Amino acid sequence: MTKATVIERILIATASITLALALGALIVAAVGYDPVLFVYSLLYGAIGNVSNIAFTLRQSTMLILAGVAVAVAFRAGVFNIGVQGQFVVGGFATAVTILVLAPILPGGLIGGLLLVVVTTVAGILAGGAYGALPGMMKAYADANEVITTIMLNFIATGVVFFFVDQFLRPAGAAAPNTEQFPDYVSLPSVLFQSSSFSVIGFGVALATAVGVYFVMTRTRFGYDLVTSGHQEEAAAYSGVDPQRTIVSTMAFSGMIAGLTGSLFAIMILGYYSDPSTFPTYGFDAIAVSLLAANNPIAVVPSGILFGGLDAGQQYIGFTLDMPSELVDGIVGLVVLFVATPELFRIAGLRAGFGGEDE
Amino acid sequence: MSIAHEVADRRVTIGGVVAALLVLVIGSSVWDLPLVDILTVGAVQRTLRAATPIALAAIGGLYAEKSGVFNIGLEGFMIFGAFIAAAAAWIVSGGGTVTQAHLWVGVVTATLACALLTVVFAVLTVRFEANQIVAGLAVWFIALGFAPFSSIVLWDGVSSPSLPNIATLTVPGLSSLPVVGPILFDISPLVVLTVIVTAVAWVGLYRTRYGYWVQAAGENPEALDTAGVNVNRVRFAAVILSGALAGLAGATLSVGFAGGFTGSGVTMVDGRGWIAITAYLFANYNPIGAFAASVLFGGMDALQVQLQTVGISLPSSLTGLFPYVAVLVVLVLVGRTRMPAAAGEPYDTED
Repeated sequence: MTKATVIERILIATASITLALALGALIVAAVGYDPVLFVYSLLYGAIGNVSNIAFTLRQSTMLILAGVAVAVAFRAGVFNIGVQGQFVVGGFATAVTILVLAPILPGGLIGGLLLVVVTTVAGILAGGAYGALPGMMKAYADANEVITTIMLNFIATGVVFFFVDQFLRPAGAAAPNTEQFPDYVSLPSVLFQSSSFSVIGFGVALATAVGVYFVMTRTRFGYDLVTSGHQEEAAAYSGVDPQRTIVSTMAFSGMIAGLTGSLFAIMILGYYSDPSTFPTYGFDAIAVSLLAANNPIAVVPSGILFGGLDAGQQYIGFTLDMPSELVDGIVGLVVLFVATPELFRIAGLRAGFGGEDE
Repeated sequence: MSIAHEVADRRVTIGGVVAALLVLVIGSSVWDLPLVDILTVGAVQRTLRAATPIALAAIGGLYAEKSGVFNIGLEGFMIFGAFIAAAAAWIVSGGGTVTQAHLWVGVVTATLACALLTVVFAVLTVRFEANQIVAGLAVWFIALGFAPFSSIVLWDGVSSPSLPNIATLTVPGLSSLPVVGPILFDISPLVVLTVIVTAVAWVGLYRTRYGYWVQAAGENPEALDTAGVNVNRVRFAAVILSGALAGLAGATLSVGFAGGFTGSGVTMVDGRGWIAITAYLFANYNPIGAFAASVLFGGMDALQVQLQTVGISLPSSLTGLFPYVAVLVVLVLVGRTRMPAAAGEPYDTED
């Protein structure tokens, strides 16, 4: 993408969101609904009351984590479209280890804490391994990672459904769900009275964003990763093994996606289910990361913004006679506009703003 | 390029295909797989039908990429095509009985409408130099949102009511010949259309002046520019063609074979656009090869039914994954396809 200053990027992000929302409102009006009610409901659903805010933060937690996973890969010049699949596999590993270990380990607070930590590590490792797979395919067989990761998403969803449906569904259960996790395997919901959101989860997301930012700016690994994204040849001359960097980048990105899956299983679900019914955090995270110019810190506000859109969308789906799928389309428009900074630059030039460069 | 070169270049592909055939033959003798029962007339028909949307989208995609624009939005344009075809057929019928003529109106509308949508994509990628991969993903997301949305506005649900399919062309007399009869003379016109499109695309790319321009626009845009041909105009045409063919591909799904539009989950297109990209990469951008690769992927789709009929019972949640696994195997085996040198690079004229 063309180079842009921080201010230009913020302007482009704001313009993209505004333009996409305006187009969305226009479409709402065109098919005969009330656009003002649409925008109002979107806002009310996101921040209208305490429970709506809790829901926004819950979605933000997932989107920030998944967004950081996407950003890590994009920074290194690799397109990880497979965050959804890595998220599904990570959550599955966590769910399976909880169901296997819970009867063996002691219960209560200590046992719960131990289980959460151990099974989250399992989720992170599984997600990392599933991310390393397309990394190896790209590094050693030159297989286009956009396509392999999308195929691996389909495969993860199908295979995990197969296991849940055939082996983990309790006898006599109608739905393809595993048993509930024990009560003590959960995150306490400190501030908000919500069974599916914990401030601790949000804290984990923030800590991950900051941690990854430090890894990428202050460590050798991060330096190699970013240089091979920007300057592949320079990286190779300075002794970076490009193949190994691709594999480790994808593994790193997959690990964060796996962590997202663990948190989803423990904090939100409390059991595991058919992955084709899960929210598409992994895809929405692409929009989150692009809007944040693939900067892990900027992913935080971007994730909160999209978390709010998500919460608003759910609210519209529940309360209004208006197809909430429109919001998914709006997210797509945001991605399209963010991909086209040139459009805004030229529009800016025409309007007479900041035309000194070019 | 001589045949010897071609063989040397494609040895991984050729080796892979030979190995797969060997596994099949050895597998059938060792485990006593009833190959004859798997390769039935019905399987060939199902394979061709499953190959049709993939081949159409693949041929469009290869033209775009040959000209230097990676149209990764094929999946999205197919979703739009599938929805628009069903919607147009339903609307012209007045919401009543959908006839064959209405279905064909749907096919034509979907093709033209997707061509128009691709104009926007082409303007953003060629004129405004949008990141082609990100813009293509955006097309997918937009389609995933807007197709079910429009479906709800029109039909109050993410899927259309069930519609008839485009009827097969049956040649009286010849269609009752054994084996070739049902395959060649009792066939969907959409399969015939796909074969024609494949042939025309091959001739167009390798035997016409426009085809040479397309290749030059992707390989050496400066030279083409020097020769006085507008590079971006050639690219525009190729990208719009790819969108039109992807729209047609989507239409073959919804009004050709599936009896309506399904908008739940990842919609009825279900990754076929991504498989189409693999098909033309596998074929090294050759339209005839892309058709053959689509038949291979279509065969994977048909295989699940065949395995059931011979009594190999795998859960459908796993057999449904065959095409996706095949794509991975192909991508890993094909190795380094030589992309057109200027693919993905916007071309700036000096003026």
